[in-house]
Amino acid sequence: MSLVRTEAESPSNPGPPSDSASVRERLRNAETVLWHRGTFVAAVLPFLGLAFAITVVAIKGWPAILVNGTHFFTGSTWQPGSTYGSTVYPHGVATPQGASYGAWPLILGTVQSSAIALILAVPISIGAAIALTERLPRSIARPANFAVELLAGIPSVLFGLWGILTLGPLLARDVYPHIASIMPDVPVLNFFNSPTGHGEGLFTSGIVLAIMIVPIITATTVELFRQVPSLNQEGARALGMTDAEVTHSVTIPWVRNGIIGASILGLARALGETIAIAMISGAILGHTAQNIYSPMTTIAATIVSQLDSSFTDATGFATATLAEAALVLAVISVVVNVIARFIVHRTGKLGGPVGRG
Amino acid sequence: MNHKVRKSLKASLLALPTLGLAAAMSVSLCSTAGAATKKASLAVVAPPTSKVSLSETGSSLLFPLFGSWMTAYSETYPNITVSTASTGSGTGISSALNGTANIGASDAYLSPAQVQATPAARNIPLAISSMFIAYNVPGVTDHLKLTPQVIANIYLGKITNWNNSAIMKLNSGVMLPNLPIVTVHRADGSGDTFLFSQYMSVTNPSSWGNSIPIGTTIAWPNAPGAIGATGNSGMVSTCGSTPGCLAYIGISYLAKAQLAGVGEASLKNKSGKYVLPTSATMTAAALSFASKTPKTGTLSMINTSAKNGYPIINYEYAIVLSSQPNSTTAQAIRSVLSWIISPTNGNSLTYLTPVGFIPLTPAARQNSANQVAAIK
Amino acid sequence: MTFTLEAPARPRHRRRVSQMIFRAATLFALGLVLIPAIWIVLGIVLRAIPHFSFSVLTHTSAHGGLENAIVGSFIIMVGVAIIAGTIGLGAGIYLAEMSATSQRGQRVDGLLRTATEVLAGVPSIVLGFVGYIALVVGLHWGYSLLPALIILSMMVVPYIAKATENSLAQVPTAYREGAEALGMAPGYALRHVILKTALPGITTGLLVALAIAGGETAPLLYTAGWNDQMPTLALTGHQVPYLTYPVWAFYNQPSNSLRYLSYDAALILIVFIVTLLVVSRIIVARTQRHADIRR
Repeated sequence: MSLVRTEAESPSNPGPPSDSASVRERLRNAETVLWHRGTFVAAVLPFLGLAFAITVVAIKGWPAILVNGTHFFTGSTWQPGSTYGSTVYPHGVATPQGASYGAWPLILGTVQSSAIALILAVPISIGAAIALTERLPRSIARPANFAVELLAGIPSVLFGLWGILTLGPLLARDVYPHIASIMPDVPVLNFFNSPTGHGEGLFTSGIVLAIMIVPIITATTVELFRQVPSLNQEGARALGMTDAEVTHSVTIPWVRNGIIGASILGLARALGETIAIAMISGAILGHTAQNIYSPMTTIAATIVSQLDSSFTDATGFATATLAEAALVLAVISVVVNVIARFIVHRTGKLGGPVGRG
Repeated sequence: MNHKVRKSLKASLLALPTLGLAAAMSVSLCSTAGAATKKASLAVVAPPTSKVSLSETGSSLLFPLFGSWMTAYSETYPNITVSTASTGSGTGISSALNGTANIGASDAYLSPAQVQATPAARNIPLAISSMFIAYNVPGVTDHLKLTPQVIANIYLGKITNWNNSAIMKLNSGVMLPNLPIVTVHRADGSGDTFLFSQYMSVTNPSSWGNSIPIGTTIAWPNAPGAIGATGNSGMVSTCGSTPGCLAYIGISYLAKAQLAGVGEASLKNKSGKYVLPTSATMTAAALSFASKTPKTGTLSMINTSAKNGYPIINYEYAIVLSSQPNSTTAQAIRSVLSWIISPTNGNSLTYLTPVGFIPLTPAARQNSANQVAAIK
Repeated sequence: MTFTLEAPARPRHRRRVSQMIFRAATLFALGLVLIPAIWIVLGIVLRAIPHFSFSVLTHTSAHGGLENAIVGSFIIMVGVAIIAGTIGLGAGIYLAEMSATSQRGQRVDGLLRTATEVLAGVPSIVLGFVGYIALVVGLHWGYSLLPALIILSMMVVPYIAKATENSLAQVPTAYREGAEALGMAPGYALRHVILKTALPGITTGLLVALAIAGGETAPLLYTAGWNDQMPTLALTGHQVPYLTYPVWAFYNQPSNSLRYLSYDAALILIVFIVTLLVVSRIIVARTQRHADIRR
């Protein structure tokens, strides 16, 4: 292939290709066009997929949205109605007689468990991220990084299994009673009072969720720390500041928005967590948590445990209600994700892995 | 006579490779659903000779049994493979009705609305199972006596402590401690909830039946401290680790529950006798319903009037469509189901006793055979 | 940012103490992250090993083993690698290399990028539900391989696209300028120069995506179903087994044999994740030796 070009030509204006190289050139140009078109199609597909998912859920849930109305967000009773009885037609939609769905406990449970997870996970993640970016000896840094990635990769169902078999019983036996015994009977703090149950409930769910979202917040924060200009940090050190002061005065303020964004990424993950919560939340419908150890449920966990039962409702209304719940969850996580990306992108390019739902 | 000869010729042609067996069967094989008194043969239908793979899904209570059934079946007929899955009665019903599975396993029969939506749907009894009421009251060694009215009041939140006078009256001589009752119910939709809610509804029409519709998921009343558990095993472990618990658990889990320190209650049946779920009491109850089982197999066997009958028993159903996409699949399904209900094969005690089930009564078996024969 | 020029004695002590506390606190936080990782892995391993026998790897679930689940998971992962790998790679290349120049084009690109990132945040149960309603029932495919592949690919494409975009962004501009100076057509340069350099990062992204796909349960429950026989390669109509199902469905069963299968499946999953991580690190280490890009 000739590397020398005639004067009038440049790479962007190849001019009419000469004979021997013409076929090759035409193929190469065609290849470029193919890359452009093909990758554009590929880039559009996720958007189409997202639109498809939201549309399907909205269409399937529409009858339920019509009938459940605002009561869905305020009511607490999950009443499937007479699935073995007669069918009635409110708003023209076939439902079993007496069916009435209130999802407030689900929404509250989702918010409560995610809040606990965030409160626990954010300080720990930031601390761990600082530790990982400090000058740690190789013998600690390598396995530490490996362990964080391992934690990120452990499947949700294994977290649930561990929560049910190991962590829940341990907490219920050795940790919760001690916490409950030192709590005074004061309005806010008596949320931590007994009964402490047997490990399946809000607190355990929050703790396991926290462990699950720590890797993503840590990894994102580590990437953010790496983007802080080293000149600033080195300058501070040259002035005699300790690592603590450098971190406190230079690094963190630089990436403060990014950390908020990373935390919201973790929040988005916690909101949508399904299988682990279904296993350890004590999945109880119709009640909000009495105290921090009570069983509760989240939207995602309810969809998983109730989907099978919803099929016994021949009118399809129960399944449509679950679709409505799924739509609510999807909308919440989309909004949270968009906010997180916006905040993070304002600080600088996000280089690390994205949030998991 | 002409009619019968024509029928037997048709049947023989279809089962050419197994001519002998087919000839024996063909005389009694009823190929149309027309004559209600025509009884189908109880012999095991031979499967097609080609390779067929079927799928079964549904009730988690029936799952281990179905697995052992199909392992044995495939040893006799290696060309038929049946894959089994434990997904829940609701999924079993819906998968069978929308065609994603060939056979659905369910503890609950089809609802009128489901039958109306899918006229070809059939629920075919395969075996009879039961449920026990479990409790965790430390210090109580004998079986506690409970009545359905007391149980309903506990779940309704009207009786909140084990030393309540209503419970003590039933159990004179038993030291009941001052212990709050923790009611446990199934958090996932389940056939066990369906049965329990039926039991409560039928025995407590005014306090329960009028306000709480039966179903695989119900709106549980607000009893103090009520908790939910997932799966029968969840019920066992929750009850075992929660002193004061009261729960309803499928009969297959009795041994596991006893290991976990959970007790089994004697229930007062309609005749006033206190009974435990044993093979004898279950059979007595099943026989009392023998004449009442309709052609469709849809029957609630709750609250028998038999003197020694146990009040909570139910048919375990196979949900199938009576019209299959092709005759090979239909024949394979007929073969599998007829094998299951045959007393020398699936319905023998070797399979049923380990899970606490009992075989179908002869009347129920004939009913099921009739339904199986109608699968085309 | 303040610092003092005061007399040394007290501030030095206070600063040193706060430095020590800081160090301790961050190491403690790191420990809090590492302990669960080790604890979970050990917990599962210790529960599974006593009852593990290699026959689990050679028998199907119908005969007390997990061979069908392992093969099924493998098939699913290969399928996801092909589908999501292609789409994710393409999307990442587009977002990194082919940014539009017009304002409208840039807004479209921004929308596409946002949609991709948002898709990663949609809960897995919602996608599984969508797969069930639209593909399994709606299109009458039944529980089978194709709905599972489509839904799982939807879930992991954002990760691959992001990893691709990041790796491409790290390719030095000098490479691109050199390629253009040599007269390479952009497509040719992409294939022979740029992608080759970014390959390690892309591969790592792909491995991460496979780890996520292999560990999912909820979407597969409603798209792949379950099969206790060996899976076929049929795209529709035949259910597919996978390793997370026994963990979810069998831990609750009364029979010990089924519960041990659940632990065994958990063990195999852990082994699989660790293997993926190790392979990913080897790839990064190998390529770092020659690369100009150092992570």
